[in-house]
Amino acid sequence: MKKLMRSDDLARDGRFKRVEVQERFLDRRMTPRMREAVEGRVGQSEGKKRRTEFSPEHPDAPDRARALMHGIFVGEIQALEGAGRTCWDFETGAGQDDVPFAMKLDMARQCWDEARHCEISVKLSDHMGTEIGEFAESAFLFEAACNPDPILRLTGVNRALEGLAIDVFNTMKEFGDTSGDPVLEFCEDWMLADEVTHVKMGSDWLKRVTENDPERRQRALEFQRVVDKLFSGGGFRGDDESSPVKLARRFRELAGFDSGEIDEIAELSKQALEEATARFNAEAASA
Amino acid sequence: MATVSVTPQQFTFVMYDAGRIAEIASTLADQLGFGADEVIEIDIDEKTPLARTRIDSLESPVKLFVEGGALEDSQTPRHLGERASATSIGRLLLRVLDRRSGRFADAPAEDQLTLPQVVAWDTTAMGRLSALGYDAQEPRRRYAFRNRHGFTDTADQVFDRLWASDEPTWADVAAACEETARVIQPA
Repeated sequence: MKKLMRSDDLARDGRFKRVEVQERFLDRRMTPRMREAVEGRVGQSEGKKRRTEFSPEHPDAPDRARALMHGIFVGEIQALEGAGRTCWDFETGAGQDDVPFAMKLDMARQCWDEARHCEISVKLSDHMGTEIGEFAESAFLFEAACNPDPILRLTGVNRALEGLAIDVFNTMKEFGDTSGDPVLEFCEDWMLADEVTHVKMGSDWLKRVTENDPERRQRALEFQRVVDKLFSGGGFRGDDESSPVKLARRFRELAGFDSGEIDEIAELSKQALEEATARFNAEAASA
Repeated sequence: MATVSVTPQQFTFVMYDAGRIAEIASTLADQLGFGADEVIEIDIDEKTPLARTRIDSLESPVKLFVEGGALEDSQTPRHLGERASATSIGRLLLRVLDRRSGRFADAPAEDQLTLPQVVAWDTTAMGRLSALGYDAQEPRRRYAFRNRHGFTDTADQVFDRLWASDEPTWADVAAACEETARVIQPA
């Protein structure tokens, strides 16, 4: 069986339509978050009731929630595929290209969780009136899971992207609660509990495997920073009250992040928003 | 057939075809009963992926404003979606006809409508588009309805009633809102 599969090799039926990661970055349109930044409204809701595109009183909230949860659904499929590949791609041992047997066991457990999340997501899609494949699939999670270094793979997927999933699940759990949707609220709560475990696995294995290799640990953390910034959705996820998806600080601490690391993610998201807004302004000016 | 014009004619942020949008709108206008002498102008803001829409004029020329995301194919970002275009434009055209009909004479102005009222009225429009053979995504509309009217059996029954109504009135919409509100917030 092939090792180190590429995202192009992932099997999907005719309902799914893939959109390349680069295609996402070619989209020069102004997101609601960028509009807030251009109008100087980011961070202005300090102390006020949080109102974002996932607030029940927002006109677009139900459709934005459907699209976001479909993104989570395809992310769950890819997380299952990624954790499965990590079990297969590396030999058990103590070498640089090997992984401890206990880490493979953790990845196998994660496969079990992700498979359950796929089933939950399919049923949640039904509940939210979403067709499977209704929205484009981006394979960015699996692409992070293609890193040939197992520790970089774990920091990119388990710490950066599953960390993002913690923020999304926490936000959507609140949305389910405030909109009076118990199905959404409980689905998110159950999946959130597993995500905290997955991120903690990433944090623990990063520390254990790189205990005597500070240079490798540094490379892994740098890869995590790149993934965190790339997939902060141009500031879609952030720390201020006006962020559509808010950093879930408490759950991240439970998953092994220290406050300095969480502050750094908040800063990366802020930078991503500023860069996206500057790009939009420059293009609008030249148009 | 009504005359439809689309602005802009050339898109730069998205890969939409103004001619195809005009065709979709013309077909809808014909099916819904707009006169051949009517003029419909559609102004599209292609710079945003959001999907807000607005009616700027009820009389000919009927003026519709649409944010680009309302016409987008959700499977192929930045490309025109046939289903999204038909349902977004169809909903607006039905709203125009409803307001002209006199059946909605008591309805508040567009910017005075509450979210539950908007969604209830939209439900009648989507049901009518579905009856014409358009894929109006009934489960999606039901989820939107539940978000505004409660995740209750009453809300589902009211949704079914509105979806099936072929000649709704403002009284129907207002009564629907009152009925679901009684369940969410009992007196």
